[in-house]
Amino acid sequence: MTFDALIYILGLLVAAAPALLVVVLGTASLLRIRMSETLVNRAGQSVVIVGLLAAIAVFVGMLVSGSRNVPVSLGHWVSIPEYHFTFKLVFDRLSIPFVILSYVLVGTIGAFASSYMHREPGYTRFFMLYALFLLGIVTTTLAGTVETLFAGWELVGLSSALLVAYYHERPAPVRNGLRVWAIYRVSDAALLLAAIVLHHLRGEGDFSGLILSGSWPYGEAAVSGSSAFLVGILLVIAAAGKSALIPFSGWLPRAMEGPTPSSAIFYGALSVHLGAFLLMRVSPLLEASLPLQVIVVILGISTACFASLAGRVQTDIKSALSFASLAQVGIIVAEVGIGLRYVALVHLLGHACLRTLQFIRAPNLLRDYHSLENALGNRLATDTPLAGARETSGVRRWLFRLGMERGYFDVFLSDYICDPFLRFFRGCDRLEQAWLRLLTGNARGGGAAQPAVPTADRRTQRG
Amino acid sequence: MMESQAAVRDLKSHDDARSDPRESSGPSAVLERLRRTIDHVAHLLPAQGPISVFIHHNTLHAFEDLHFDEALQRGAQLFGNEPYLPESEFREALMQGRIRSTELEQVLREDLGEQADAVVAGLAQRFQLRFAMLQYPVWSGSSDEMRWLIEETDSLRRLRPEASAANRLRITGETRRWVMRDLRGCGTDNDDEPSSVDIPDWLRDLMRRHAEASFESWSDEKWDELTLELLWNICCDGLHFAPAPMAPTPPMRHRDLLLAVTDADSDLLVNEFMVRYCAAFLDQGFAQFPLPERERGFFQAFVRLFGDAIGPPQRWLNGLSSELRRIEKESLSSLELIQESLADLGVEESEWDAFLTATVLSLRGWGGMYRQVEQRADRVAKPIPAGSLVDLVAVRLLLDRWALRHIAYSQLGHRGPLSGLRSRLRASYPQPETFDTNRRAFQIFMLAQVLGWTPPELFALDREAWNELIQEVEQFCDRERRRIFHLAFELRFRVRTLDAIALHADRNAEASAVPRFQTISCIDEREESFRRHLEEIAPEVETFGAAGFFGVPMYYRGATDAHFVPLCPIVIPPKHWVTEQVDDSLEQLHQQRSKTRQKLGKAAHHVHVGSRNFARGAMVAGFFGVFASVPLVARILFPRLSGRIRSWFGRYLQSPPVTRLKLERSCPEPGTENGALGYTVEEMTAMLERLLRDIGLVRRFARFVFIIGHGSTSLNNPHESAHDCGACGGARGGPNARAFAQMANDSRIRRELVSRGLTIPDETVFVGGYHNTCDDALSFFDVDRVPESHQAEFIRARDALNKAREWNAHERCRRFETAPLSLTSEAALRHVEGRAEDLAQVRPEYGHATNAVCIVGRRQRTRDLFLDRRSFLVSYDPTQDDADGAILARILGAVVPVCSGINLEYYFSRVDASGWGCGTKLPHNITSLLGVMDGAASDLRTGLPLQMVEIHDPVRLIYVLEAEVDAVRRILDKNPAIGRIFLNEWSQLAVLDPRSDRIEVLRQGRFEVYRPTARELPRRASSLDWYRGWRDHLEFAEIGNGRHSDGRRPADDRK
Repeated sequence: MTFDALIYILGLLVAAAPALLVVVLGTASLLRIRMSETLVNRAGQSVVIVGLLAAIAVFVGMLVSGSRNVPVSLGHWVSIPEYHFTFKLVFDRLSIPFVILSYVLVGTIGAFASSYMHREPGYTRFFMLYALFLLGIVTTTLAGTVETLFAGWELVGLSSALLVAYYHERPAPVRNGLRVWAIYRVSDAALLLAAIVLHHLRGEGDFSGLILSGSWPYGEAAVSGSSAFLVGILLVIAAAGKSALIPFSGWLPRAMEGPTPSSAIFYGALSVHLGAFLLMRVSPLLEASLPLQVIVVILGISTACFASLAGRVQTDIKSALSFASLAQVGIIVAEVGIGLRYVALVHLLGHACLRTLQFIRAPNLLRDYHSLENALGNRLATDTPLAGARETSGVRRWLFRLGMERGYFDVFLSDYICDPFLRFFRGCDRLEQAWLRLLTGNARGGGAAQPAVPTADRRTQRG
Repeated sequence: MMESQAAVRDLKSHDDARSDPRESSGPSAVLERLRRTIDHVAHLLPAQGPISVFIHHNTLHAFEDLHFDEALQRGAQLFGNEPYLPESEFREALMQGRIRSTELEQVLREDLGEQADAVVAGLAQRFQLRFAMLQYPVWSGSSDEMRWLIEETDSLRRLRPEASAANRLRITGETRRWVMRDLRGCGTDNDDEPSSVDIPDWLRDLMRRHAEASFESWSDEKWDELTLELLWNICCDGLHFAPAPMAPTPPMRHRDLLLAVTDADSDLLVNEFMVRYCAAFLDQGFAQFPLPERERGFFQAFVRLFGDAIGPPQRWLNGLSSELRRIEKESLSSLELIQESLADLGVEESEWDAFLTATVLSLRGWGGMYRQVEQRADRVAKPIPAGSLVDLVAVRLLLDRWALRHIAYSQLGHRGPLSGLRSRLRASYPQPETFDTNRRAFQIFMLAQVLGWTPPELFALDREAWNELIQEVEQFCDRERRRIFHLAFELRFRVRTLDAIALHADRNAEASAVPRFQTISCIDEREESFRRHLEEIAPEVETFGAAGFFGVPMYYRGATDAHFVPLCPIVIPPKHWVTEQVDDSLEQLHQQRSKTRQKLGKAAHHVHVGSRNFARGAMVAGFFGVFASVPLVARILFPRLSGRIRSWFGRYLQSPPVTRLKLERSCPEPGTENGALGYTVEEMTAMLERLLRDIGLVRRFARFVFIIGHGSTSLNNPHESAHDCGACGGARGGPNARAFAQMANDSRIRRELVSRGLTIPDETVFVGGYHNTCDDALSFFDVDRVPESHQAEFIRARDALNKAREWNAHERCRRFETAPLSLTSEAALRHVEGRAEDLAQVRPEYGHATNAVCIVGRRQRTRDLFLDRRSFLVSYDPTQDDADGAILARILGAVVPVCSGINLEYYFSRVDASGWGCGTKLPHNITSLLGVMDGAASDLRTGLPLQMVEIHDPVRLIYVLEAEVDAVRRILDKNPAIGRIFLNEWSQLAVLDPRSDRIEVLRQGRFEVYRPTARELPRRASSLDWYRGWRDHLEFAEIGNGRHSDGRRPADDRK
């Protein structure tokens, strides 16, 4: 009993530590208390150490006790007969490695950022968003119910978009942050719909209710093939938005506007893997429906192919790395689709570490190239033909353009989805205005007059 | 945005090579004119080359023919950047005493000259008015800000807190008197009686509102309120009929007009497209899939790439592919296309200059890089053909047309030809804010409070007086105020510097004894502290400074390098090649190691590239990815330790320890092959003689002469090369020092020198060295050749030098906020070593930041003076020069472009870090292996990053030359390149008399005698005593007295 209580407390600590950091930094910012850089760092570091140690302790405890699945329930948020919203964390063979990875990477990036961001205006803001991100990623990872997962998912999305727009005094980061945010909203909407459908089907959002008999990676879907397909396809859309799979890939290179550590943490390490993680979490569901599996595999493979083509064309290091990241995420998604769950997990963990290191070292590119050239005694060969130099120049040009224009997905989304969407609703708005004018009999509408300067206004009249 | 016409027109008049554009006609002549125009416009582009070889240069180099002030105004207007620091920073400096009020007054008086005493609108003398505008913050916000201030703050109820008590009393007191005496009655109805003053309606209304008031019992607050209401109304009234300020000319480009009118930016579409294509074409080998048909040139490759039948699907590019096919079919050249585009856009030939300037500058970073790469093909791996910039302009204009057409249609429904777009847009071009009468009134309203102008006084002004007043105030605008502030800021620093030099100059007599050893290091201001500490540790040492390539220009290739690197100032193209060769006995080991390096390099490259690919990436990530966490965590948490581990492994891969420079040539012509490498004995003799005579080291040679080049290594720093030796053209000067020492030890060369009247004693040994200014490492070359007789002495000298670098690191650390001020010298050395190895460190060193002085003269004149790492120190002995200053002239010829270039680049990047500089480093992204952009697709960012310049003081470099004034005068007249820097005041010039402490300063083309203001300099026993505990700039001080020659410092008594 005491052992269970201990695990419960430790499990709680894993999620509570980052929440505490958010509260501390957030309150200080709200009350306009200026925290010194050292203080912010110490707070961040201690939270990461506590959280990491707690996660490892839970892991050790589970090894010792031999249990494979430890739920930590924080009670119901809403509970009516036949129906409940639960806030629940789950430690199992999927979430434990992922949460430890998150703590290690986020902690390392935190240490990196503490000197990288030194003297930067907005230092506390960065760490506030960092804390929010950490909380989000830990919650998502440990989520035992779809609504818990959604909460974490939202926090990750919000903090990512704000970090992309970190340099809000320049227009480009804000514009690109907004674009990231918009795609995330689509993905969030899909996840929310999936949650609703799930609740509708099962009366609860617990993954354990969705997937019967056994903890991850074993288990079978508790819903029929067609319902699995419906929930699954919504989850795939959610995952595609978050992991920048086709056709949402356009935001990934745009998200490079923030400072280097935030690029590293999102696109190299964690954020971009969240979609794959979600699919892993519900992998038994995928297996319940063959069409769904096929879709996931095709989505993964085509994203990987596209990203590796686009990555070859990029001339800047951060875009190249972000497409490289995407190629691997595509492969991981395909692995999940095939059902290679452990392979996908190992691939994901390894890829996250490797890519983070590469992102962190991105500004060192020139020096690395220089030393490589010196070692080789020559310029680096680059012109590696795609398929044995047999493509005609026409195909080559076409492929190059496809890569350079990032698969035209952005163009497609903005020109053929967003624009008509906006135009439709703007038309509705105009219609409504016209309708209103007709009804009120006010030909000009109730347009607000220019706010006036009290006395100065009078002066102009006098003149 | 860009009112460029004036600037361009003026530049044109300076461009002598340019012939009259209208002398001939005909199609080819028109194209030729067009080409020349573009070529001319291209001069304005940033002149920064590939970032891996960072060469400091004056950011406004294109304007050097103009006076500094004028160039600054022109440049600021043309590029849309700030010419000076923001006013708030100057005000802060005023508070901190870094600008002195009296000197501000002096500068302002000098600037105004005879106009200082003119009375403005009967209210104040011009000088008083302007001085008050400098003393108190002048409000000059936007109309929206004004509205906010009025509606949301107390600005109409409370007098400004900055107003002095006396002025407050005066304003309210006078108002009370005025109200009681003149106004009290006018609100009542029985005001039929003719009053002496014509009272306007608003005032009657106002008084009517207060008709019932018992003024006598009013509180002060109530009076304040009434006063301000009166004041505000009077200002609005007074300015109501003031003539509108000069309307700025609407911008030239369609895009700017369209942006102002519709808020839609066509450059957003075009630039993103252009950036990707420009990067792809210029890529130096990063992308694995390079641009197809790149060899056809920028324009043709573009035409082919986007001319396919299935063209780009972007909606705004509809029809582009068929247009490109037409261009291909008619085989239009890029110039012809430009001509077509200009005609389509409706740009007349008279507008070409201004229009093309604005167009080219819209993507100035990339444009500039194209120009640089075109011109210096020898500096890149993949050169581009001449004319690529013209191609770029052609493509840009073509895309501009498509984007404009798209936006004009979608926003304005404009379907007609683009040539009519501008006139349509100009008609609805929004009026600038300066026209807002209320805003102008608010400015006066705010000013009146701090100047103590009372409502009755202002009320009495007539219309002419009001016009005069507002004109006067608007003339002394924000930019003008900052100009005065800047002059006062510079004056403060100049006074401090010249005082210190004048007071110190006569203290040091010529040393007579032969020194224990001598060092020659770079003139770099970062070596100032190194030399000073060395002199403190070993007082019997003599130090010299010479431009860090030590007069040995060369292309150099080390034993483990792949390519030759030029090591000399950018203005001198080297003509000789030098390589490092491994000793014969170690040749086998060398081969073996280079094979290992090659294998490892190949493997690393495979992992590097492979990890970004599909299948190999999966393998790498899946199998080895997790192991990446080890270096990841280790390098971030323990940078210094992991650096040491890496260099420990690296030792087994480096070239073997015994190498020589291949310096002597046997073939008549220099080249890169064996035998053609190096110099002839005569050439070496000449180089040696020249440098020794330059620095005045022709007698009293010590037993050791150390000659120390410098460079800098840091991680994760695209601007790494900007910290290297400027005199080596942004490279590391170790090989130059080594070559110099090797030559100077050659007995044949010494014999040659004797015949030229320069005797180096047999017992003198030259040793080359290399100082890393980032981690303060110091290494020596060819130590195995130091004769046995000198070994013991060498070790002692080396210990002193090592001690000096340790203290140098310590002094540097005071500037780093993350280094505690209480560090010991050993800890300081560890700290800087850690910085150099830290991936997360964006300030590995501060580079040239704080540079402000350049002293050319004998070290004796400045020895024991604490110059705070702010002064370039160039050794020159005027007593050995001829009357014309031949040696000085050639020293200045090398030193002035380098030092002024560094100083001015820092100036500009500091005053507007995101305009002239490249902004903060944190979002930088290396592109095409050539430069950095912000994020994923921005213009190429040129200039220096914020993190490098943040502690810099933007003052123009003060040269102090120890020479005869007449000789300097002649040099300025004879060398226009040097002369224009000083005569146009891009740098300041002072001349120190070689025999006394008399200083003359060049001002407006004339030398004036400088009179020191201070009597005495602060004095401390050691540098440490003076700088310990301070982070900010320090005054110059004298170091001396209780000197500890054993190298130990007085105990740290300050905490």
